[in-house]
Amino acid sequence: MKARIILILTVLLISISGIHCSKSEKDFTIWIGGAPEEVDFWAKLVSEFNKQTGYNLQLIRQPTYTDQRRQELVISLEAKQPDPDMFLMDVVWINQFIKSNWLEPLDKYVTKSNFNTDVFFQKVLNSVDRYRNKLYALPVFMDVGLLYYRKDLLNKFGYNGPPKTWSELVNESLKIQKAERKDDPNFYGYVWQGAQYEGLVCNFLEFIASNGDSIMKDGKIDLNTPQNEKALQLMTDLIHKYKISPLNTYTEMKEEETRRAFQRGDALFERNWTYAWNLAQDNDSPVKGKIGLTVLPHFDDNQSVSTLGGWHIGISRFSDEKEKAWKFIQFVSSYEVQKSLVLNVGWNPARKDVYNDKEVIAKLPTVKILYDALQHTAARPTLPYYSQVSDVIQRYVNDCLAGKINPKEALEKMQKEEDELVKIYGTK
Amino acid sequence: MARSRKKYSSGQTWQAYIFNSPLILITLIFVFLPVAGTLITGFFRNVTFMPNKFIFLENFYRLFGDVHFWQSVRFTLLFVFVSVGLELVLGMMFALILNEAFPGRGLMRVAILIPWAIPVAISARIWQLMYNFDFGVINYIVIHLGFVSSPVNWLGSPVGAFFSIVISDIWKTTPFITIILLAGLSLIPDELYKQAMIDGTNFIQRFYYITIPLLRPVIVVALLFRTIDAIRIFDLIYVLTGGGPGGSTSSISLYAFKYYITGDFGYGSAISIVVFILASALAVLYIKFGNFAGELK
Repeated sequence: MKARIILILTVLLISISGIHCSKSEKDFTIWIGGAPEEVDFWAKLVSEFNKQTGYNLQLIRQPTYTDQRRQELVISLEAKQPDPDMFLMDVVWINQFIKSNWLEPLDKYVTKSNFNTDVFFQKVLNSVDRYRNKLYALPVFMDVGLLYYRKDLLNKFGYNGPPKTWSELVNESLKIQKAERKDDPNFYGYVWQGAQYEGLVCNFLEFIASNGDSIMKDGKIDLNTPQNEKALQLMTDLIHKYKISPLNTYTEMKEEETRRAFQRGDALFERNWTYAWNLAQDNDSPVKGKIGLTVLPHFDDNQSVSTLGGWHIGISRFSDEKEKAWKFIQFVSSYEVQKSLVLNVGWNPARKDVYNDKEVIAKLPTVKILYDALQHTAARPTLPYYSQVSDVIQRYVNDCLAGKINPKEALEKMQKEEDELVKIYGTK
Repeated sequence: MARSRKKYSSGQTWQAYIFNSPLILITLIFVFLPVAGTLITGFFRNVTFMPNKFIFLENFYRLFGDVHFWQSVRFTLLFVFVSVGLELVLGMMFALILNEAFPGRGLMRVAILIPWAIPVAISARIWQLMYNFDFGVINYIVIHLGFVSSPVNWLGSPVGAFFSIVISDIWKTTPFITIILLAGLSLIPDELYKQAMIDGTNFIQRFYYITIPLLRPVIVVALLFRTIDAIRIFDLIYVLTGGGPGGSTSSISLYAFKYYITGDFGYGSAISIVVFILASALAVLYIKFGNFAGELK
């Protein structure tokens, strides 16, 4: 009996001293999720950083899905936990986190370490990372919506380059789709993301922005305009009038569905994020070497606009290792690391200067187009209740694509519900 | 009931409470507390990124004016009515067939359980692929049999999506009803049927006057389980249509989930309370009108 008590006490003592030890080492953490291969790459970066600095930064793996990643962060931050010290944020979260007072302003660190923020795209920095003249986050990599096209088919039918306007896209699609259908009954002119989810808001924003409009004007949600009606009419017409987009656009089409259709060779044009390029160039891809990439089309007398995506890094206000965390942010923002991001995982660097790197241009001839697209981006609304706003847009745009209501009606109902949301959530 | 209560002394009553206490405790912790917690959350404007605010019944008032909420209530009730009804009819048919002696009956009884054994998320995904517009097997079959000339977008119209969900649900949960009814059928003494046959009854008479009355308590249990399950339907729809097109197949649970995932816990809780009240009301109705306590003596 005595022996047993001593044994238990020993075990307890060892475990307590173990807890003590790990605390005195002062590790700090960064939380990152995403596709497994992406997180693996981050693990490599973190161990490289630890080797260089002698710090003990720990990578905590998060889920793949964006919503779940946010949920995890929200729980820890709401409880004011010292962990995570740093994390990656999707563009639409940053404002929500700032308003909740969860992010450490970075200006103090920027000045102290003579960090040059001019190397980043200023438009992105100003629209996403800055709030009331304070800097809260820095971009790590960027994403934009782009137009993928089949070079071989355009050449075959005598077109010199990709379409610049939506009407050109429609005409070329109609002609080529008709001819190609003889061999491939599943061939479609244009595939894009029309299912009821966040991606639909990104697509909708690109259509309306390429007609010179936006979701928010002067801090107010303003959707019911003639420009937006024209844009939404075009989205519906692509499916029902011209029939160049498949009927399942509004039920099934998300990023991967459109990518698969295009990569199978079943589509002439595709709207997708930048990730689809590397996959389409795989050795077993039927469209390898036959495709091109350009900015999205626009309405006559307007310009192309891409929805801004991508991930940004910030420091938690509750972190107990802010200085060290800033060191890691500097490391991630360095020219070398940004360059290795694009060369190894195909992410578009947040630094402008990397786009002129000879090695990068040699490996990815498309970076020039990305650089152009990044000059004209549209950001989704920055509101603490953005998710609810997005949900309303998704529902009515999708209803309209399904042909249940006409664009005018959809925009009217959307506006009415958005106004109600502002009434419910807009008051403190 | 009053008669039986009198029989116990106070010591026995206490003993009963002590023996039941684990169950009471578990019910309190895992049923009562969450429901109470949800109700309390429903009294707040509890939205991520915004300060918490006590607004008492405002979330519940908001329900009344919310057309999408009523749409989801209509959808859910229609879904319960159609799918549970069809499942009962089909389940009864299968149970009667499987209750007869025929070669391979054991194998059939196992085989019919397979859909029930597959996780809902996976079977929903399988059905989604079958309904697929591009390469789904259902379009392949109807086109090759010449019913239609071009592929049908099954999940693309409210009516198509509704029946696609109902069919998937029937495929998945009819086995459950079959097995419960089969258990009930095997308890009915064979002599009753033999006697009735001697009296010169036909199959339909035997079904109505012997099988149905004796099976009633079992039917009520099966319906009770299925109705409560169906009124909470979430996973099948979440995977199959995500509530689309345009929210026309959004069940109440899915509607509540949408608010939880977008960060409005107060309104989500208010919706969940409605699901809870609906399910409880139906359970009470079944138990009252099912009257199976009387039949089981």
